[in-house]
Amino acid sequence: MKTYILNRIIGSFFVILSVLVINFLIVNLAPGNPVVFMGGETGLVSKEYMDYMMKKWGLDKPIYERLIIYMYNVLRGDLGVSYRYLEPVSKLILERIPTTLMITVPSIILGFLIGTLLATLSAYRAGTFLDSLLTTLSMIFYSVPLFWLGIVLINIFSVNLKLLPATGMISAQLIGKTGSLEYYLDILKHAVLPITTLTLGIFPAYFRLTKSVVMDQLTEDYVLTLEAIGLPRFKILYKHVLRNALLPAITLLGLQLGFAFAGAAIIENVFAWPGIGGLMLNAISARDYPLIMGIFLFVTSMVVVANIVVDLVYGYLDPRIRKG
Amino acid sequence: MNYWKKISSIIPTYVVILLIVIVLSPVIYTQGQQVLQNTCPVRGGTLVIIYWGEPKSWNPDSQVDDALNGINPSIFNRLVALDYAYNVIPDLAESWSMDPNATEFVFHLRRNVTWHDGTPFTCRDVKWTFEAIRKFKGIAYSNLKMSSLQEVVCVDDYTVRFIYNESFPAFISFLAWYGTWILPEHIYNKTEYSDWMDPSIPALQRPIGTGPFKFVEYVKGSHIVLEANENYFKGRPCVDRVVYKIVPDPTSAEQTFLAGEGDVLQNPPPISDIPLLNKTPGIIVKTLPTLSRYYIGFNMLKPLFQDYNFRLAIALSIDRDELNQKAYNGYAFPATTAWLPGMAAWWNPNATLPQYNPEKAKQILDELGFKVGPDGYRSLPNGTPLELRLLVFQGSTSEAIGQVLKEQLRRIGLKVSLEVYEIATWETKVVKNRDFDIALCDGFHGPDPHNMYMRYASFAYINFANYSNPEFDRLVVEGSRTADPNLRRELYFKAQEIFASDLVYIPLLDLPAFFIYREGWNNMPWDLIGMEPINSWLRAWFGKSLTTTVTTSQTTPTTPSPTTQSMTPATQTTSPQTTIAVSPTSTPVSPGLNMTIIGFAVGILVLVVLIAVFFVVKRGRK
Repeated sequence: MKTYILNRIIGSFFVILSVLVINFLIVNLAPGNPVVFMGGETGLVSKEYMDYMMKKWGLDKPIYERLIIYMYNVLRGDLGVSYRYLEPVSKLILERIPTTLMITVPSIILGFLIGTLLATLSAYRAGTFLDSLLTTLSMIFYSVPLFWLGIVLINIFSVNLKLLPATGMISAQLIGKTGSLEYYLDILKHAVLPITTLTLGIFPAYFRLTKSVVMDQLTEDYVLTLEAIGLPRFKILYKHVLRNALLPAITLLGLQLGFAFAGAAIIENVFAWPGIGGLMLNAISARDYPLIMGIFLFVTSMVVVANIVVDLVYGYLDPRIRKG
Repeated sequence: MNYWKKISSIIPTYVVILLIVIVLSPVIYTQGQQVLQNTCPVRGGTLVIIYWGEPKSWNPDSQVDDALNGINPSIFNRLVALDYAYNVIPDLAESWSMDPNATEFVFHLRRNVTWHDGTPFTCRDVKWTFEAIRKFKGIAYSNLKMSSLQEVVCVDDYTVRFIYNESFPAFISFLAWYGTWILPEHIYNKTEYSDWMDPSIPALQRPIGTGPFKFVEYVKGSHIVLEANENYFKGRPCVDRVVYKIVPDPTSAEQTFLAGEGDVLQNPPPISDIPLLNKTPGIIVKTLPTLSRYYIGFNMLKPLFQDYNFRLAIALSIDRDELNQKAYNGYAFPATTAWLPGMAAWWNPNATLPQYNPEKAKQILDELGFKVGPDGYRSLPNGTPLELRLLVFQGSTSEAIGQVLKEQLRRIGLKVSLEVYEIATWETKVVKNRDFDIALCDGFHGPDPHNMYMRYASFAYINFANYSNPEFDRLVVEGSRTADPNLRRELYFKAQEIFASDLVYIPLLDLPAFFIYREGWNNMPWDLIGMEPINSWLRAWFGKSLTTTVTTSQTTPTTPSPTTQSMTPATQTTSPQTTIAVSPTSTPVSPGLNMTIIGFAVGILVLVVLIAVFFVVKRGRK
């Protein structure tokens, strides 16, 4: 078991290292130069300004030299300073983690829960109206673009029903009133729509995955045996069948927790939620090299870590992996 | 009493202007006007602006930052400013003058101005700001021709003189435009800072300006809060706070506005939604022409486009009304002249472009030997098939214009392949590498006709088409040196005629600006042309407008009553301006009990799920 973990960790180190190099090259070789971008409307950029900024940011050096400098800095734990915000990249990323996790984690868990439970129900009632309804719904949510769904939800719940706030994280009139109960409730209210949208986008994957497995399981002999013993249907379904059918869903859950850090960029953009996704989109559109690379590196590290955790959980759940 | 105040504050200015005129008798072009002190029928409340972007930094002069530029007028001031009709109006300078050669400019500064930290504003700040723009290559560096700026002299604490090596009559217009915000010398000018973007400068986290609002808080990606500056030199703003709520996505910004969470929508919605917003009760939509326009340019490095008749054929095939309808819902203005009518003083109505005439275009192409093949498309006279590459940048409008152009050129038998790129790639391909046949571009053509020099002269960086006409160059260079407005106008009028007849660049649409806000707000900057700069919320107040109160009795106060003055921003939104309000500004989402329950439910759900997962994992081991 120890060699297994060690192997995985050493392997991950090289994965991250190569991702670092590839990220650097992709970002730095992409067309469009951050200096031109700082110029925005092209009419305003003077040659003097471009030269000054290129030199200031060290972009006048050849690319391999910059790569070496960057890797050296990263290994020392320094992700650099954002061109745009003039603040350390690590600080900018750390600031945004809680807000992003606040919407992604609940929606992944809710999606997992709703998806698997509905799948069990749907598989048990296979062929009925309920089954086709649930399957159709999950297909619809699976294929609908999430940003559109978000806008539709805003339109229904904020514009028409006036039940929930539309965008942002805090109402304008509560800004600065940190510490009051009202303030935190307001943040929760703002989180409801993004979480709902994300959940609706996430659950179909679990639904489809679990449903097929449950249907397989229902044909197994042990189900017949349990029925013969006289166990209530509900208990057979949720206590025995679902538990056996849950493994693939748990794998997916683990992977998605890795993406929880950056997978919601579009939703964050639609709901103006100040998370990592928004930061990333802004950084890309401004060609803020250090920030883009920092975020990419962070996200890949998280996905790699999540993968290791999933592998370890698997090893823990399944002795064949552990010992094999 | 108010009258006395006004008159007494006007007198010194006139005396000063009179004195200047007398003392500096060779100075001929003097401008300036007294700015009215702010009076508010209603005070208090919060103005919530749904805003499109995040500022890049809090240094307004260091880089192009359109998001910050929209916020700047609240925090900072310039010497002179532009209003929504692109007139130059006084800001920190109450009057200014230019010598007949347009090489020396004198500005007389206001005396009652303080920085937000209480330090008085003087000429030192002005001098340092412009020296810093020159030293650190600020964004106004090339606009203000900093390489020709000989000296900035403080004649005394409240008089500043700019001395140029060469004539530069456009100086004052550009001074009123971009990247010329006056910065506090006492904060920035310290030896320990490497330059004006040194991260340790406190004003880069909490900006200090002279403007009508003081910085309170900025939460990245979420909001910016400003509060009224009690000591503003034009008087305190009418509202207590301005909140910029950052919503980057235009559609969700529009929905947020419709949900009542903001007073002004400053993230332009899709053009197709404007009619709907206009019809919505309680929402006001206004438009004004701008100095931005869409235009195409031909790649003059290619022999094909060096043929005037070929360019003429394409110019004749463009139906601007159709472009306007299909790409801009009819809200834009078809560009029929070389220059923009929005810049009325410099616009030559006779410099017209060829009108839509597809038959004539076809005839010209036939004469040139571009024969129509069996597929309906023309080929080159030597028989090789012809396909023109039209490069546009991403954006619903520019892509729509590209589509319509493609279709219009197809109608005269020219095959066009439309290539859409992200703006940075577009810039690399078109401006840098000249790798295109036709390129669509848009841009701000102001604030001065000197923009012709910067945009279309043969040596201009963004002259991507390689337009080169020595006579045009001569005229715009001459125009950039002539101080006499009448002579200048003549030069630019001629330049426009040449530009229109050369057909290297074809203007398409002049764009409007949309102002979308909630009914009940008065004295918005777009209503105060000649008085307030673009995006200045100094005089904005919420309540029943004075024009409609004429019919009601005098119960509607025209001067603020003590009760409305003392309103706090938090109560304003829940109980909007008691008697005078027509509709609530930001309809708050009622903090009802049901929401509390939903909140708790979510929390509990998450907890339950965590427990469930834990058990599932734990039992799996058995």
